[in-house]
Amino acid sequence: MKAKWWSVALTAAMVTGLMSGATIYASAEEPVTLKVFSNLPDRKNGQGLVEQMIIDEYMEENPNVTIEVEALDEEAYKTKFKAYAMEGMPDVVNIWGQPSFLDEVLEAGVLAELNEDDYADYKFIEGSLEGFKKDGKLYGLPRNTDVAVFYYNQKMFEDNGWSVPSTYDELLELGKTITEAGMTPVAMDGGDGWPMAVYLSDLLYKITGDYKETVANAVANGDFSDEAFAQATQLLKDAADAGLFQVGYDSQDYGTAMNLFTNGQAAMFYMGSWETSMALNEDIPEEIRTNIRVFTMPTVTDGAASATDIEAWNGGGYAVSASSEVKDEAIKFLNFMYQPDKLSKYGWENGVGMSAQDQTDYMTGEETELMKQIVEIVTNATSVSGTPVNDCGPSAFKTSIESEIQSVSNGTIDVDTFLGNIGTACK
Amino acid sequence: MEITGKKKTPIGKIILWIALIFVAIIQIFPLIWLLDFSLASSNEMFTNGLLIIPEKIQWGNYVKAFVDGNFIHYLKNSLLINGLAVVLVVLISIMAAFACLRMHWKLNGLVKTLLLMGMMIPIHATLLPNYKIYSTLHMTDTIWALLIPYVAFSLPQGLFLMTSFMSAIPVELEEAAVMDGCGIYRIIFQIITPMLKASIATVSIMTFLNNWNEFMMASTYLSSPKWKTLPFSVLEFTGQYSSNYAVQFAVMALTAAPAVLIYIVLNKHITKGVAMGAVKG
Amino acid sequence: MKKMYSNKLVITSLVLPGLLLFVFAILAPICLSVYYSLTNYSGMGSWDMIGLENYKTLAHDEAFFTALRNSLFLAIGFICIQHPLAIIVAAILDKKGGRGESFFRCVYFIPNVISVAVIAYLWKFIYNPNFGLLNNILKLFGHKGNINWFSPQMAIWSVLVVLIWHGFGWGMLIYYSGIKNIDPTLYEAAAIDGANPRQTFLRVTLPLMKPVIQVNVTMAVISALKQMETVYLLTNGGPGNATQFTATYLYQQAFKAFKYGYGNAISVVFIIICLLATVVLNKIFEEREPKRRVQ
Repeated sequence: MKAKWWSVALTAAMVTGLMSGATIYASAEEPVTLKVFSNLPDRKNGQGLVEQMIIDEYMEENPNVTIEVEALDEEAYKTKFKAYAMEGMPDVVNIWGQPSFLDEVLEAGVLAELNEDDYADYKFIEGSLEGFKKDGKLYGLPRNTDVAVFYYNQKMFEDNGWSVPSTYDELLELGKTITEAGMTPVAMDGGDGWPMAVYLSDLLYKITGDYKETVANAVANGDFSDEAFAQATQLLKDAADAGLFQVGYDSQDYGTAMNLFTNGQAAMFYMGSWETSMALNEDIPEEIRTNIRVFTMPTVTDGAASATDIEAWNGGGYAVSASSEVKDEAIKFLNFMYQPDKLSKYGWENGVGMSAQDQTDYMTGEETELMKQIVEIVTNATSVSGTPVNDCGPSAFKTSIESEIQSVSNGTIDVDTFLGNIGTACK
Repeated sequence: MEITGKKKTPIGKIILWIALIFVAIIQIFPLIWLLDFSLASSNEMFTNGLLIIPEKIQWGNYVKAFVDGNFIHYLKNSLLINGLAVVLVVLISIMAAFACLRMHWKLNGLVKTLLLMGMMIPIHATLLPNYKIYSTLHMTDTIWALLIPYVAFSLPQGLFLMTSFMSAIPVELEEAAVMDGCGIYRIIFQIITPMLKASIATVSIMTFLNNWNEFMMASTYLSSPKWKTLPFSVLEFTGQYSSNYAVQFAVMALTAAPAVLIYIVLNKHITKGVAMGAVKG
Repeated sequence: MKKMYSNKLVITSLVLPGLLLFVFAILAPICLSVYYSLTNYSGMGSWDMIGLENYKTLAHDEAFFTALRNSLFLAIGFICIQHPLAIIVAAILDKKGGRGESFFRCVYFIPNVISVAVIAYLWKFIYNPNFGLLNNILKLFGHKGNINWFSPQMAIWSVLVVLIWHGFGWGMLIYYSGIKNIDPTLYEAAAIDGANPRQTFLRVTLPLMKPVIQVNVTMAVISALKQMETVYLLTNGGPGNATQFTATYLYQQAFKAFKYGYGNAISVVFIIICLLATVVLNKIFEEREPKRRVQ
């Protein structure tokens, strides 16, 4: 009963919001304030810089519009997003086109519907919009094509005579060699949980060659007893046991892990392709940033996937709040951002990896080696995995797997308990 | 243990002194370490030494921290919100204490117990429902969203201390005032309050220290930088400068500085205030 | 006079601000919490009443019990490590501090005035296994210095150390003023009886400090239960649930796992536990020392 009353009130609020938005837009010179809620706190490097550039440009072109940005890092962002979802969302928000994030958000109806036809000329890569749809309606636009990669320090590799591993066993072997040389093999952001879950997905993909259905079934039934899950988890645990990751990886955050790598303490860093902007980050010593290269997860024994089947997905993106009082202006800004010569082009020029739009026009040949490598990996890919496992279920599942994965990798619980626990969280 | 040192022998005395110094080092060394590295460059963090002499002293770290950390703005907010909270807690607790202690009414015991109960209720347990309440009333992102819980959760302690101090003031004083034709409000604010100076200091200090640290509520209830408090300069910075440790250190040192300076200046009063609270508590 | 002191209007005006605050900031949220704890509200959208389902789930929630165990561990840690240390240091300071007394007091107290946000980040660096201060100190003594201070087994101890370090000055200061309040003639009497310092400490100082100790023990237990900020920033409950506390857990469940209703059920149980703990502690101390009321 109460809930129904609520939804009526909400609809009423939305309608009024719409109408007032329309009035404001009609008299275009009236001052408008757009609130942008972003998950990119670093506004001076990489993607945050790109976002800020576009915002500044938009404000310049539309002097009556003021854009206020609230930026938090990913974990804090998602928490606050849910708090906002309870009452009143900022106008333009970052979202993730993945069930763990979007399902509940769309169910609550807090995001505005977008008109897909508007984006026919925006050169979105085929299929990249799928994650942002529900019942055929579009609610958001993807920002990146993300690939899970191992960044490595080429010079360090050459100086020590190490070579890029082509099988998982070789990777573990290499890890031992690097440890013996007194360095950390792979810097891992284990404190956050999700990078390890991506690592697990990466392995799962290498084992199965296609995990979409297996994962969907497992989540639906709360049953992760499929042999492939146990195998992948065991491989992750093998890596942790072999000391592939830095000491205390399971409690260290993003920044700490990345700094180990960018300061030459770790030979490799497992992260998404959005960090290719490291190559242009002046805070990183030149000797290191010019020597960063990547390779993808090597093949596993008896795995169904080859080296060119990669863990990649369209994750982060933007959407407009359904209850926004300036919805039209917000959508206008969103469309401005996605004009192919904005987000995509600036992103390209600032080396933040691949966008979800066709970027071939912007290739100049002047890109960093790192960029070229990523492009090569994506163009040569024989298949891509889609959404990582942790993002394929409801958020209770995501919370559970990202916490339990720490416990299983550090040996607090065994593989079966891990799979049992994450299964329970789906129910 | 340490206390066994024979009173007269110098060796015992030296051991005790060493113990005191040892504890002092433990308490203060992390802060010295913080200061040291806040003046270095990020790459110098990766050493095996305890302290380093930076190759070049990087004052620029502090400039960055000061400017990009919105330091002045956040400091102003922190001081304002904490200051207001202190004033309100003192005022409301004096009034309530007087009413419960001296006035004649039936429910005084019950009301006092009720108000004191707040002391045992964990502030964070109200985080979720309060968020709902404030957002319904459109109070999120306003100063009230912080002020109300800060005052409400410091009030019980204030009331508790005020009643115990107030009960030590002889009733005869008030009787004389009534003879002179004073009303209740004048009695409270002109006669009682000046006699509570010491306890007002105690309550102020405790309220201030309690709320100075708080950021969970601030980070949940606030969104724009308008009312954000000092801890945010640290929280935001670690995101913004995730690849620059030295600047992170600088912002931490900078954030810690005001409270430490205030403490050192007011050292004597704070010690006395806490001590009084302790004995009464 | 009597009439003036029972003027209803005046009384109301005096207690109303406090009462309103209590109702608005404490009572109403608790009632709301109780209500939501009976729903399956996710935090947005619609919800249904599901009765005591959330509480039933909670009764079997391992992570919740881990959180309670961690609180208990913390309380015991405070009582058995922090407070004895604080009393001993306070006693030494009182006897031997001499001219350095106020200096030491000041230094011990400084960490206490620093914001938790700074403390937590600072200690994150201190504990860092790769370049942190602590491992570097170990290296000075010839150890390999690669200890993972946040391993599942050690993480809770590491949290405890930070909290002890942060709160040490406060505890010390309170005991110190307690000791200062002891009538010096009692020490003189003890000295005349030929008591050595240890005997004086055990037979005079400690017994007279009993009331102060009791209050502080109660405070320690409550603050252990309430722990949130430091842990949230230091480990965020991890690795796994190794350093999960009630407050961090309810936050995680409500805002991260989208179980607002469940989070509220945790809140309600959390409040009940805190109230119970206070009552029980008060009972224990009251029985030991009848007639002594704190006010």
